[in-house]
Amino acid sequence: MLLKLHIKIQQTLFILVVANLLMNEVSAEQSTIPDSQIHGFIAQGLINVNGSNFVNDDGELSAELTEVGLNGSYQLNSHFRLAGQLVYLNGGNRYGDGFRVDYVFLDWSLHQTEHWQVNLYLGRFKNSHWLYSGTRDVPFIRPSIILPQSVYFDGGRDIDIGAYGGALKISHNSDSMGDFDFNMSSSTINISKEQTKNFLSKQAFGEMSNSYDFQVSLYWQPALSSWRFGLILLDKEFTYEADEQGERFFDSYMTKQRVMANMSFEGESWEFSGVVFRDQNVIDGFYSPSSYKDRVAEGFFIQSRYRINQALTLLARYDRFYADRNDKDGQDLEQKTGGLFPSYFNYQHDRTLGLSYDISDKTRLQFEYHYVEGTARLTPRLLPDFAINNNEHWNLWAIELMYWF
Amino acid sequence: MVSCKDVFIKNILICIIVAVEILIIPTAYSIQVIANANVTSLTKSQLQGIFLMRQLYWPDKQKIVVFVLPHYHSLHQDFSKKTLSILPYKLDQKWNKLIYSGLGTGPIVVQSRQALIDVVISTVGAIGYAEDEAAIKDKYVIKITH
Repeated sequence: MLLKLHIKIQQTLFILVVANLLMNEVSAEQSTIPDSQIHGFIAQGLINVNGSNFVNDDGELSAELTEVGLNGSYQLNSHFRLAGQLVYLNGGNRYGDGFRVDYVFLDWSLHQTEHWQVNLYLGRFKNSHWLYSGTRDVPFIRPSIILPQSVYFDGGRDIDIGAYGGALKISHNSDSMGDFDFNMSSSTINISKEQTKNFLSKQAFGEMSNSYDFQVSLYWQPALSSWRFGLILLDKEFTYEADEQGERFFDSYMTKQRVMANMSFEGESWEFSGVVFRDQNVIDGFYSPSSYKDRVAEGFFIQSRYRINQALTLLARYDRFYADRNDKDGQDLEQKTGGLFPSYFNYQHDRTLGLSYDISDKTRLQFEYHYVEGTARLTPRLLPDFAINNNEHWNLWAIELMYWF
Repeated sequence: MVSCKDVFIKNILICIIVAVEILIIPTAYSIQVIANANVTSLTKSQLQGIFLMRQLYWPDKQKIVVFVLPHYHSLHQDFSKKTLSILPYKLDQKWNKLIYSGLGTGPIVVQSRQALIDVVISTVGAIGYAEDEAAIKDKYVIKITH
């Protein structure tokens, strides 16, 4: 039912956009304002993980930390703008490497007044609901090289980061009440074979698809305040069609519902942010035709940044994740699987320290160290690699040089 | 012969004078907000909204075009801190989030103080800033209220 509604909405929107484009003539007046903007970034780093397959299987120092992006924006007329970004990413086991269309969409300005802005985005757009999701691949904007995996699980990056569909943004700014942003999006994504293996298991040869992804979020920043508060609701649905050629897994239906709240403070020298969330994950099938798992995962992170001077910033973060809130220490998991799944596959807690140094206006060097307890946020997720990930405690350090324009 | 008591009183007086200068005598802003639009005044909150690219249109529906100097320019630094009350690096962060997520565009950067004045005066809907000493017609100067 929801899928049909989603398709119907997309068809209606497409017709409306074409009609509006045809009716709006591009202004012939000469203007000194440029219609287009081009920006980009390039970053290369080194990463060393001890005790897990987070980046590679051999545990050696790795240069699989490359991020390149080029984006453009073109104002068609007063109502329509085109925006797109192409990225090349290599993060080792964290996600598949290669070029990606990060986003390409039409920004339709539906209503603009002094206090209200309503925009509709059609095409492939970034998830802009979460605190860092809109720019999680942009190294100089996100707070750290590796984001807190409880929320920004790299194994699910391609599923979480963006999708094809429509998104509505309503912004209201009031002198007395402050700024409000309401976002709503409905979309689907194509999941590649590599992403399927990353997410499920290296032996998953079937087709994974995302039937729909619906999210809403509301942000509020009180007038002239440094605080901002957000609430996010998410509903996703996936199906998995097992390969008929002797695959060990089975057809399955998976859903995820998330409730997440965040708050952030941006002062002159100090920044604080905190996120708390709860996921309801249902997996019907996959392990066996009769298998049915309904688990509630939860987690949070708190983060602080301190700006020592114009160039140097320190970071400290504590990130906590439980895959099953009814089995936080993983003892049930270990017992029920006869020891196949060690208990530490049910949680992952990360303590992070980092620093970044601005070499120039457009160049930054960033370093960080993570001490991690547990392996619940390593890939593949549903059938993990037990042979390599046989340590409850592991750590990593990373250094990355980045330039943007 | 100057006694310890005299030195103490003299130091106290110096401290009081410095405190009065800091706390009571208002800091003279050497920066003016200028715009080529049908407005004469803006609240500080509105000004922040415009430079954070949240308010995109003037009340008469004219599109707002924001012009700024480069990040490192002393006038930009002073404008950000004193007039907007937003640190320059925070402005950069907000603009970068818009640009690299695709959800918006950043301001247009010009390279000199005079170029900033010229482009604001010649562009309908433009807003920028200038030094107090710059020769600007009153019709382009925007009063900022709190």
